Amino acid sequence: MTLPVDLEVKNLNFYYNGNAHALRDISLPVYKNRVTALIGPSGCGKTTLLRCFNRMHDLYPRHRYEGEILFEGRNILSDKEDLINLRGRIGMVFQKPTPFPMSIAENIAYGLRLKGIKSRTELSGRIEQALKHAALWNEVRDKLNNSAYDLSGGQQQRLVIARALAVEPEVLLFDEPTSALDPISTGKIEELVAELKQDVTIIIVTHNMQQAARVSDMTGFMYLGDLVEFDTTEKIFTAPEKKQTDDYITGRFG
Amino acid sequence: MKREHYRKIINYSALSLSGLAALAGLFWLVFILGDVLVHGIGALRFELFLQDPVPAGMTGGGLRNAFIGQLMITFFATLIGVPVGVLGGTFLAEYARGTTFARVISVLSDIMVSVPSIVIGAFVYAVLVKPLHHFSGWAGAVALAVIMIPVVLRTTEDMLTLVPWTVREAAFALGAPYYKVILQVVYRGAATGILTGVLLSMARVAGETAPLLFTSFNNTFYSTDMNGPVASLTVTIFQYAMGPYDDWHQQAWAASFVITLFILMLTVSGRMLLKWRYKK
Repeated sequence: MTLPVDLEVKNLNFYYNGNAHALRDISLPVYKNRVTALIGPSGCGKTTLLRCFNRMHDLYPRHRYEGEILFEGRNILSDKEDLINLRGRIGMVFQKPTPFPMSIAENIAYGLRLKGIKSRTELSGRIEQALKHAALWNEVRDKLNNSAYDLSGGQQQRLVIARALAVEPEVLLFDEPTSALDPISTGKIEELVAELKQDVTIIIVTHNMQQAARVSDMTGFMYLGDLVEFDTTEKIFTAPEKKQTDDYITGRFG
Repeated sequence: MKREHYRKIINYSALSLSGLAALAGLFWLVFILGDVLVHGIGALRFELFLQDPVPAGMTGGGLRNAFIGQLMITFFATLIGVPVGVLGGTFLAEYARGTTFARVISVLSDIMVSVPSIVIGAFVYAVLVKPLHHFSGWAGAVALAVIMIPVVLRTTEDMLTLVPWTVREAAFALGAPYYKVILQVVYRGAATGILTGVLLSMARVAGETAPLLFTSFNNTFYSTDMNGPVASLTVTIFQYAMGPYDDWHQQAWAASFVITLFILMLTVSGRMLLKWRYKK
């Protein structure tokens, strides 16, 4: 396969609290404009790996990265990396919806203002565009000034996706984005993920294997901090090479 | 059958005992408030707010100096106490979150809240009045601010801790620096709670007499000079109530009524804000 690579993880090791070895020698390519899913049982390190891409671990003391994640040929794990700039280019959507305590419009304007956009007309244009992009516009167009907390859980999650999209990131990280949502909202988010890959590269962590099979192009199976197998989603789910992967996707353990 | 009977008797006696206890508590509250209301309203006159005291023993005059003095001292106490309390609480809940240092400060503030206010008055006397050789409004404001700070600090800390950590992570993930996360997201979520704390702490200090006796003392004349002694309602009530003149007693009642009403209004608006916040 000769797809363009957006992010390249090379021999990544990660330690919590100085010595808890959470990721062991991980290497994988993340292809541009594709959805890469990370699956595996709880505690396997998939969320830990996801949070390396935007350096969320840096918010907490006593963590340590070893190895490289190359983004346009530059190692983003280096100490010199500008995290504010990095996080503007690699966005993240969390497990539980995280709207800010402000109106729907302001939630989206927040990221834009961080990028220095102040003009009212540009802001309202980009707010509309982002909400349309996240398939939420028709539901909230008349109540942009209502509190974001008035929305349902599924709408809040799409609002958060719109907020992340508004700053035009190149990569979006999804950390179990539907685990707190009902099946209908889950379906909408999955459709959205499938559409979004035209514009952004997506990495999604999920507990739900059907979801990984439905939305992703590439899948990595992780277990106890190791990346056991990484291949096309089709291959992983129909003819995995490793027995461990087969056991997991057929539900024999995990 | 007998057991059930027995159980009902216990139930009714417990109910009546706790009901009586509640009534006993409520009785004094209503009695005090009612007494202040009846005597206070009767003694309330327009001159009270517009005129300064006349020489002792003469009738007439008002307490303009004490009203203005009280407002000035409370205002400056708030001006000093609120920023220190809010910033301190922010430090504890954000930058020092989870550290031993933060916990120690937190516990110390809780102790500070229950320190008798007269001790704080004596402390400020030793620090700001004695070395300067005169009472001053500033000393009064500082004494009240010292009482306010731990209250505001702890409320701020608690309210900021209530804002879910994931919301901060989401703001960081958009590329926000920490000070913007605090100013624009965390404070937004905690604003009504912090404001409630500020109002309640103002209500707490507005009724203090002891710390002012040592610091701003009292002044029979109208003075807006914070460098000299400044009259306050609470100290004036204390002085007038102990005095020999009937006119003084009347004015003390009126002043008690006004300050009670002021504190009641602060407290009620604080509570209402809190209720409004949690309804959302």
